[in-house]
Amino acid sequence: MYRCKNLLTLLLLSSLVVTQGCWSSKEIEDLSVYAGLALDVGERPEVERNLEREGATYYKKNLLTATIQIVPIKSFERQEKSSEKQLLKYSNLRLTGDSVFEIMRQYSTRRERPVIGHHLKVIVVSTKLAQQNQMDQLMDFVLRDNDIRPSCRVFLSKGKAYDTFISNQPEEVPAFRINSMTQNRYRTNKVMKDVNLTQLDGLLHSQQSFLLQNIVSTKGEIEFSGAGIIKGETSKWIGDLNQENVESLSWIQGTGQGGVIKSYDWRNKNITYEIKSMHSKTTAKLQGDAISFHVAIESNGRLIENWDTKENPSELAYLEGAEKVFEERLTTMLDHLMRKMQSKYKVDVAGFGKVLSIKYPKKWKSVKDNWDEVFSQVPVTFEVKLTITDFGSSTE
Amino acid sequence: MFIRNDDKITTTQTSIFITDTVLGAGILTLPRGVIEAAKTPDVWLSVLLGGFIVIMVTMVMVKLSQQFPNHTVYQYSKRIVGTIPGGILGVCLIGYYIIIAGFEVRIFAEITMYYLLEGTPIWAIIIPFIWVGTYICFGGINAIARVFQIIFPISIFILVLSYFLSIRLFDIDNLRPVLGEGVLPVFKGLKSTVLIFTGCEVIMTLVAHMQHPERAVRATFAGIGIPFVLYLMTVIVVVGGMSVDSVMNSTWPTIDLLRSFEITGLIFERFEFPFLVIWMMQLFCNFTSFYFNASLGISQVFRLKIHPVIFGLIPVIFITTMLPERINDVFKLGDTIGKMGIFLFFLVPVLLTVILLFRKKVLNHHV
Repeated sequence: MYRCKNLLTLLLLSSLVVTQGCWSSKEIEDLSVYAGLALDVGERPEVERNLEREGATYYKKNLLTATIQIVPIKSFERQEKSSEKQLLKYSNLRLTGDSVFEIMRQYSTRRERPVIGHHLKVIVVSTKLAQQNQMDQLMDFVLRDNDIRPSCRVFLSKGKAYDTFISNQPEEVPAFRINSMTQNRYRTNKVMKDVNLTQLDGLLHSQQSFLLQNIVSTKGEIEFSGAGIIKGETSKWIGDLNQENVESLSWIQGTGQGGVIKSYDWRNKNITYEIKSMHSKTTAKLQGDAISFHVAIESNGRLIENWDTKENPSELAYLEGAEKVFEERLTTMLDHLMRKMQSKYKVDVAGFGKVLSIKYPKKWKSVKDNWDEVFSQVPVTFEVKLTITDFGSSTE
Repeated sequence: MFIRNDDKITTTQTSIFITDTVLGAGILTLPRGVIEAAKTPDVWLSVLLGGFIVIMVTMVMVKLSQQFPNHTVYQYSKRIVGTIPGGILGVCLIGYYIIIAGFEVRIFAEITMYYLLEGTPIWAIIIPFIWVGTYICFGGINAIARVFQIIFPISIFILVLSYFLSIRLFDIDNLRPVLGEGVLPVFKGLKSTVLIFTGCEVIMTLVAHMQHPERAVRATFAGIGIPFVLYLMTVIVVVGGMSVDSVMNSTWPTIDLLRSFEITGLIFERFEFPFLVIWMMQLFCNFTSFYFNASLGISQVFRLKIHPVIFGLIPVIFITTMLPERINDVFKLGDTIGKMGIFLFFLVPVLLTVILLFRKKVLNHHV
């Protein structure tokens, strides 16, 4: 009995040594945390081509190139010592293959620290890849994975997605920059409402066309510029909206939180309107079998910049004249967008379908499957009312 | 604090007991279950309607149980329909409770393995869970009720807080149009909303343990009302935050909703972790309740001492837990439990009541 007890104590003590801590815990220092994932058309970088020439190949098609942006923990420690030679805060690693997950695991054959997706913030897909492949297939792994959180945001890139992950400012991580830029909607309505993975999942599943913010890049600089259209039926990229279109879209949906309208008055001098508030109401009408929409837009704002020195902004007549100019400008902008949606691409990305489905669910059910086609023939009327409520701190 | 030695619980404890028995894994899969059946955003109406039906049925259970003071369903069913049929009924209930207990543990293990402890073997998650459950069952109904009383406010607080924080994703348009396709989808969704209230049947054993059995109606109203409100909230918040299409595509929609946002500046940036950890305690309550009811049933039907029965059930529950091989089997088991539940607990109390009334009023038997 005594020996038995001794043995038990020994066993318990040894278990303290053997099984201490969490069962399958991994120290974060031993892992590579990646903050961004960029997907491009399969073009092997030179390193990879050389490695493959040496025989480092496996069974695959070179369909896509995935770039992950690793945020190394080490660089933060070293930073102070090597102040002369600025160390990048991130490292990009590119691999080519045809299964995103397989590529993720393939990184373990190239780096000592395996990658984990818990902190993935941004996914950028190049429009070229999205044109050739279905978005729902490209995104399947990230939607299914348990490490990657659905709060991750998705973007398109005009050029190579890889280029959006390069920054010429060494102290910043491009993926974090893209992520934070989505918060600038209160400054300009050229920044769209961000689309996270949960929303993307719903959009892809609903088979309706939708938009993703476009990123344009050159030599380490990036810009949010317009949006790419993903067609619902094919789940592929079909075209772009420009910056002005994205602004117009926020007017139709009434979702803008800030921004400007700039126009030229009767003397061809520029005047600028600062948006203080924006409301819109879209109503669907059904007469017999004919669908139509009416959008009423109302906004309050400020005359924030006036180059027309001959006019006095504190005079009501001038303000009313300026309101007309801005309203005309906005109507033109809306017209451009409608022409692009209805004639050029024949898609509804402004949520008119949702309005119809709420008001006339039965009609919606019958037109749902080819809504984009139906929408291109639907008349849409606008009613724009802008009010300049003040003219800032200078009267003249 | 005084320690009670008898087997009586207060009215509040009874309410919390019922709530903690009903509120379990259902909250994690409910939105998908109803939406798959109804396919419209009207699912919250299904929950509303389902809740009312369940409350009505539980009232029948309470009234029936109140006819036999200090007797549980295992005991009075024998008196109503005779020893053998009553015993068979009891065994059905016991089997049902054991399967649910196993199911709850399995769901708990699946989620833990996928989101929290990837790599930990399933037995290492399940076995301690069952052991702790055994320990608490040993304390009897009083100890269980007191543990529930401690866990209840914590888990409800975290749940409501998580939902509150997810309001940032809420879009009322996701819940519209209301009744766009008529009332038929609402009824289709009813099947899975009635199912999530499985567990309310424990009232048939609880009334016997109540200090004031005459307050059982009030206790049941509160006990079913709390999960009812929380389920309604779950469906509205999850569908409103994620849209119908997204919910349909998600294995664990409620967790996915909490994973869809990050909060900077608060103690937790990601709310799925505190939620999952706290919800584990809730699943534990759930499991314990079914475990206890099953052991109580066996000891009363077969006239055995309860402690050996509790021990004897450990391997049975473990095997039940491990039986489904794939996750599909787990969900299929969940559906089967729902169907069994409807059969056992929507027919049995009604049937027993009818027979009881028939014997009392028509045959003038003294039961």
